[in-house]
Amino acid sequence: MEYLLEPFGYEYMVNAMLISALIGVVCAFLSAFLMLRGWSLIADALSHATVPGVAIAYMAGLPFSIGAFVSGGFAAVSILFIKRRSLLKEDVAIGLIFTTFFALGLFLLSLSPSTVDLQRILMGNILAIAPWDALQMVIISIATLLFLTIYWKDLLLVFFDEQQAWMAGISPIKLQILFFACLSATTLAAMQTVGALLVIAVVVTPGATAYLLSDKFNHIIIISICIGLFSALLGTYLSYFIDGVTGAIIVCLQTLCFLVAFIFAPKQGLFSNIKRRKAALRNHYA
Amino acid sequence: MLDTLMLPFQFSFMNKAFIIVTLISIPMAILSCYIVLKGWSLMGDAIAHAVLPGVVIAHLLALPLAIGAFIAGLCCALTTGYIKENCRIREDTVMGIVFSGMFAVGLILFHQANSELHLTHLLLGDVLGISNSSMIETGIISVFVLLILLIRGRDLMLLIFDPQLAQVLGINVSFWHYGIQVLLALSIVAALQAVGMILSISLLITPGACALLISKRFGDMVIVSLCVAISCSVLGIYTSFYIDSAPAATIVLYMAVVFCSIFCYKIYADRQIIQKHQKKTLDIFSASTPS
Repeated sequence: MEYLLEPFGYEYMVNAMLISALIGVVCAFLSAFLMLRGWSLIADALSHATVPGVAIAYMAGLPFSIGAFVSGGFAAVSILFIKRRSLLKEDVAIGLIFTTFFALGLFLLSLSPSTVDLQRILMGNILAIAPWDALQMVIISIATLLFLTIYWKDLLLVFFDEQQAWMAGISPIKLQILFFACLSATTLAAMQTVGALLVIAVVVTPGATAYLLSDKFNHIIIISICIGLFSALLGTYLSYFIDGVTGAIIVCLQTLCFLVAFIFAPKQGLFSNIKRRKAALRNHYA
Repeated sequence: MLDTLMLPFQFSFMNKAFIIVTLISIPMAILSCYIVLKGWSLMGDAIAHAVLPGVVIAHLLALPLAIGAFIAGLCCALTTGYIKENCRIREDTVMGIVFSGMFAVGLILFHQANSELHLTHLLLGDVLGISNSSMIETGIISVFVLLILLIRGRDLMLLIFDPQLAQVLGINVSFWHYGIQVLLALSIVAALQAVGMILSISLLITPGACALLISKRFGDMVIVSLCVAISCSVLGIYTSFYIDSAPAATIVLYMAVVFCSIFCYKIYADRQIIQKHQKKTLDIFSASTPS
């Protein structure tokens, strides 16, 4: 018993659990919307595209969130520009830009190897987070959370039916821009817990799992938040014992949730699908 | 002067690097044309990430890394296909979930194994320190992919432009859907040790994207894409020797520069054409109206 409670005795563990839970909740909240819109690739792209910004910010001694935000925004603008001005499909534009930005980041880092720990950007390291970074994360998460809780109904309307949102007096463009800003801020926060390479999981998997379990959007949000919260808490807790990469454990737990939901979900699951198919066949032949 | 410029060619590891990037970039450049046309970029991304657990397990079992990587890539493709067909979630989301899950498993395994494999080498490649045996591996895989593309390339092209017609003509569409993923997995496996898993995605997208901007026929597109990929790869390695940068990242940046220049040229040329037409219509208009 004492062995199990051991992590709570260390301040850094408690801090890490609280911060990663907060970030997990925000990411999961966003993931419900991303899933609706099918924007999973964009989150992945944003997280990779922030790498050069982080590298430059570290070298220049600026707060890394500013650098990441600028380069993420720059990447988003260039994706839109390429898409608008050429025949290339959206996924090609996204893939092109994010790999290029990522390569730029690596290039900069390779020129001055000692300043930044590449492994930290790629894998995240919530257990060794500096107080100043932690404060940035908390501010970002709370701001995003506030925005989402206040505007979630408007956002839902915008994502489902832009015309009707217009009629209802909501400006879709303004909301979408705000949503994008929140998304890039959150990917940045998530980079601290799970690293640039796994951000896509925390902003996609909880929403998709919830979508398998429910048809109502407010239920989807709640389920998704629960998954985000518990996987982050449990993942950070477990990482104390198995001495592994915290982010990878969190992502593994979420993927596990998804697989369980995929197989056993009451309506959309594999088993219930098979059962339904068999019943339909039986009715057909009866 | 000339001596300094020829300096990289005097080292055997540099020569090896030149050969290996050329070998990798040929099949990848051809594949990238198909990928860009079909809009399958995420597939390359997914397979490249999903390879990690396979590599780690193969390393633990002392098998060739390429085999483990290939099996893992295939697993990712098959799982994605299966999940997508059995639930209502969109394909790109499913792909994101599967590959990130596999990547996370790979990371955990890697940390538990505590092996002498370098994670950064897997992620970012290590073209200058590549061993002879893995060079031969890469060569065999590349030639194999290239042969398949040469023999069945026309079928694949038909499949991309008109799947219905392909089906009518007796091409097995679902077989080739997985077939192209196998080819992707193979070429990524070949590129893994040289340019790493993240930058191999770029080699699978950028040359094709450059080529699509300026060519109107598929044959031309393949040629442009090959030229871009090979020249950028060689130039990237060459430059990285002097400025001491990460070779794979330098290659990708060169390709980005090529893309930007083609893109700007394209915008300029389009504008020229529009202006010419405007002028023509204006001329006709002014000629037809009596002054």
